[in-house]
Amino acid sequence: MTKKKSIFKDQRYIALLIAILLMVIYFIFSKEFRKYSSILSMLDFSYYDMLMAFGVTFPLITAGVDLSIGTGMVCYALVAGTLIRNNNIPVGLAMLICILLGCAIGLLNGVLIGIMGLAPFIATLSTCMITRGIGSTCPATPWPTTSQPGGWFHSIFKLTFGSGRGAFKFPIGFIFMFILMLVLEFVLNHTKFGRYTIAIGSNREATALSGINVKFYHVMVYVVCGFFTGLAAIAYAAVTPTVQPGTGAGLEMDAIGGVFVGGVSATGGYGSMIGTFIGVMIICLLKTGLPYIGLQANWQQIITGVVLIVAVLIDIIKKRRAAVL
Amino acid sequence: MGEVILTMKGIDKSFLGVHALDHVDLEVRAGEVHALMGENGAGKSTLMKVLTGIYKKDSGTITYFGKEVEFHNTREAQDAGVVIVHQELNMVGDLTVAQNIFIGREPKKGIRIDDKKMIEDSKKLFERLKIDINPREKMKNLTVGKQQMCEIAKAISHDCKLIIFDEPSAALTEKEIDDLFKIIRDLRAQNMGIIYISHRMDEIKVITDRVTVMRDGGYVGTLITKDSTKEDIINMMVGRVIYEDPKTHSMCPPDAPVVLKVEHLNAGHMVQDISFELHKGEILGFSGLMGAGRTETARAIFGADPKQSGKISILGKDGQLHEVTINNPQDAVKAGIGYLSEDRRRFGVVVQKSITENSTLACLENYLHGPFIDKAKEKKDSERLIKELATKTPSSDQLVMNLSGGNQQKVVIAKWLIRDSDILIFDEPTRGIDVGAKNEIYKLMNKLASEGKSIIMISSEMTEILRMSDRIVVMCEGKKTGEIRIEEATQENIMDKATRNIN
Amino acid sequence: MEKIKQNPIVKKIGFNRIILICVLILMYVVFCLGIKGFAAAGTKHLLNTLNYVYFLGFLSLGVTFVIATGGIDFSIGPVMFCCALVGGYCLNSYKMPLVADIIIAILIGLAFGIFNGYMVAYQKVPAFIISMASMNIAKGAAAVFTKTQSQSWPLSTDPVNGWFRNLISVNGFPVGLVIFAIAAVICGIILYNTKMGRYILCLGSNREAVRLSGVNTKKWEMSAYVMCGLLTGIASIFFVAAYTTVQPGYGDQYNNEAIAGCVMGGTSMVGGLASILGTVIGVFIISLLQEGILAFGLGKDIQLIVTGVIVIVAVYADVSARRRKN
Repeated sequence: MTKKKSIFKDQRYIALLIAILLMVIYFIFSKEFRKYSSILSMLDFSYYDMLMAFGVTFPLITAGVDLSIGTGMVCYALVAGTLIRNNNIPVGLAMLICILLGCAIGLLNGVLIGIMGLAPFIATLSTCMITRGIGSTCPATPWPTTSQPGGWFHSIFKLTFGSGRGAFKFPIGFIFMFILMLVLEFVLNHTKFGRYTIAIGSNREATALSGINVKFYHVMVYVVCGFFTGLAAIAYAAVTPTVQPGTGAGLEMDAIGGVFVGGVSATGGYGSMIGTFIGVMIICLLKTGLPYIGLQANWQQIITGVVLIVAVLIDIIKKRRAAVL
Repeated sequence: MGEVILTMKGIDKSFLGVHALDHVDLEVRAGEVHALMGENGAGKSTLMKVLTGIYKKDSGTITYFGKEVEFHNTREAQDAGVVIVHQELNMVGDLTVAQNIFIGREPKKGIRIDDKKMIEDSKKLFERLKIDINPREKMKNLTVGKQQMCEIAKAISHDCKLIIFDEPSAALTEKEIDDLFKIIRDLRAQNMGIIYISHRMDEIKVITDRVTVMRDGGYVGTLITKDSTKEDIINMMVGRVIYEDPKTHSMCPPDAPVVLKVEHLNAGHMVQDISFELHKGEILGFSGLMGAGRTETARAIFGADPKQSGKISILGKDGQLHEVTINNPQDAVKAGIGYLSEDRRRFGVVVQKSITENSTLACLENYLHGPFIDKAKEKKDSERLIKELATKTPSSDQLVMNLSGGNQQKVVIAKWLIRDSDILIFDEPTRGIDVGAKNEIYKLMNKLASEGKSIIMISSEMTEILRMSDRIVVMCEGKKTGEIRIEEATQENIMDKATRNIN
Repeated sequence: MEKIKQNPIVKKIGFNRIILICVLILMYVVFCLGIKGFAAAGTKHLLNTLNYVYFLGFLSLGVTFVIATGGIDFSIGPVMFCCALVGGYCLNSYKMPLVADIIIAILIGLAFGIFNGYMVAYQKVPAFIISMASMNIAKGAAAVFTKTQSQSWPLSTDPVNGWFRNLISVNGFPVGLVIFAIAAVICGIILYNTKMGRYILCLGSNREAVRLSGVNTKKWEMSAYVMCGLLTGIASIFFVAAYTTVQPGYGDQYNNEAIAGCVMGGTSMVGGLASILGTVIGVFIISLLQEGILAFGLGKDIQLIVTGVIVIVAVYADVSARRRKN
């Protein structure tokens, strides 16, 4: 018996509407926002959130979490950046190191959670501290700017045509994020890895009873998350003039909040990369857009916290209603 | 019926010295639907678990298609073609029907899971079984009955030769049962061997070819269905000599007032329009088979689970019945009801805490001086009850997890006695308890009743029901099917009411 | 070994706690021997350690209640800072009397505790999600309220409010230690001798069994978070009494340290088991460790890594001990 689902039952459509609504409001009420450079700037700062969010969607679907993504991202950018600075390694290698470090910490998280059985929040809270500590051993490090050798990596996110003040900048990173979203949505819905991630989040026991190596997939979920955190580190380095040690705690909130706004279930078993994409865009709109309508940047933290609670409450209340029926 | 597919001979299995299976035989042929019947605890599930490799048998032989086998896990059994459709569904709610059926063995096109093929194959399975389920539907959106159909489809998709159904019709509507039977007839026509575990007499008569009856872990006999009557089967199921004398007449005074009146209680499909009365000093037995809805009824009365409708009235100090609102266990406890859950480890005791701490949990307010707990008074009362109930323990500080089952049960009883609840609902009070401790609990219950406490005793043990109850309420699939005075009660008429398929 | 375990004094305190005390003493000895000038500095390091113990101790005491119910609260660090910042702003910009500021700080902690507790116990929002959200709200609210300016509380030289420092010590006498000890004793009494403590410990171990005994488990679960919030508020006072200035945007590392002290001391993350004495010893160990690391010349980074590793080890030890028991 299939119930005809109203389009509004899909949280992603509501999220999309909210995103569009926000953009419209900003457009109408803020002259600053209408400038191309503002939109460009907002997009610049969305990439690392987006990548973290893509990565952490997987653990969240398994009813877990990875709290180390924020500090991890900063840590990898610092370590790799220091290697560029002090050891003159090519930027390409530095990027690879970011990814490898991400996977390594991801593997650590995966083993702690999937094999040793620690609760996800406590395990990743600890790795969060550990990566922050590791990052703090590095000095404040800038990655190469666009005009320096090695600065080509900026072009992954933003293409510059021409030079000087008349230069036209194109946010190609947005296109990549969009494509990545489609690819990951495919992975989630059509590959064994994605399928088993959902199955583990929905009913770990039944999945194990069906003969699937649950431990392996559970670990892989966190490795994948770490991989994307590594990518996020590169995006973060691209927009941060100087990466500061000791920062990063709190950045994971934007990513995780975005995933929840996108509709992931607080108890696991459901998630969507499209939802994550829209959710992160909403968070970014709130983050960068608030100053344009007169609210200080610190309100953003409060609002992100409130948005997270509201998103989760909506999910919980929906479930409660469904259970009574 | 064709050749013999499976022969289980002389199967023995013990758990911690308790005989769960004692020299059990079973023979199943190709193209046969073979029923496996018996009361709760007869050993049917255990036998199947031995067959499918979940338990290891202590002795006996299993011959499958002429060869002696021993499966070490369900995967092995599955690969050999022995599949079981469990009573508890093992489905992943957030995946679709097709995804669930083929979980773990998804067909692939390159890196991509071939969902299309899975849907096609699922459709074929459903066509073969002649059921109408949309393979694209998310499993959690299906009714329990439909989910079970999917479980069956999943089992069949494994290319099986012997399929075991464990209480398949328990959650199905009448139409779904018809569909199920059509499927079973088809499978039989395809020469499959089918073991059908059920307590529904009418169904057994309709769909099965032979019936094997078990009792108390032992093999009683095998009958040919069409040549036997319902009474024959019931006799085999219960035909034991009761060594403990059943109660011959009610111990409850005939003029005893009603202390609890339940009217039209509804709480889901396990509790449908239940009404009954409990008298002061009475032991009211609640009989029925597993899944009858007795625990659910008790929990609804106690406020542990939400109810849709129903009126509960309790005798007040003024001698009149007053309606009470019970929305949660606190209300129930305040109204004077105590509930001893059937799963005492999970719901009855806090195993990591001491006997004393557990005993005073329901009425801690009585031990307070301001905000502080009077531990000396607690200890005194706890020790008094340990003595009264003869709980075997070195001290009242002993952690409950170190006690035996029977003694843990005594701690739960102590909790409600200290609270001095007037109405006690004992849910399977002697489950997993040895004979000696059982008798102590029976003596205690009788003493409580004679002191004026009123007891509802839910039990699946016939001897216990007949020995202890003054009156018996029988339930079957969520409905009250009978109320019998102890003077007229027999095993047969209780079982008859417990197994009637009201649908 | 068995004989030692049977000794009645050992039993009362707990074998694990004795081990922890030995670890603490051993650590001090190692530091004295291994770190140049550690012993020579006299009481300086001990006093520094005590300053750390005061605020971390209150945080840990608070989170002990929450973990005892099987929940978690890692918003305590930022909330502590929020209390200190808002209270400080009221002092510096609104010129409110010091006593009022202290009360405000504590009330803010209480408010967060009530909010967290309500969400977890009554709305059934997973505790870690509420922690994350509260953490952010605390950080943001503090920054907005103080306009992102750090706040300083009074020094001992302050003519009007100099008495503030007396909360820590008076003429060298560690008043703070006395207050902390009294607070720890009170927490212990609450946990082991009152209805609230009894219900919290039992519901942390088996919530359903307690509910079915007629107890309002929601109310008592929430009370654990309220307690935590209150103690976090008090912690903020000790933090500024020791360190004077608070900056917005920090506080995270103290979450882990508070939880580490708690779990190390024997409080189980699964719920139901808690030890105030263990928490206190754990806090001393962590505080001494931080001081030792600093004295050794290593930076905050090493502190963070070490704390992270300690938590993992402590929690894993707890998890496997549970597994073995089952």
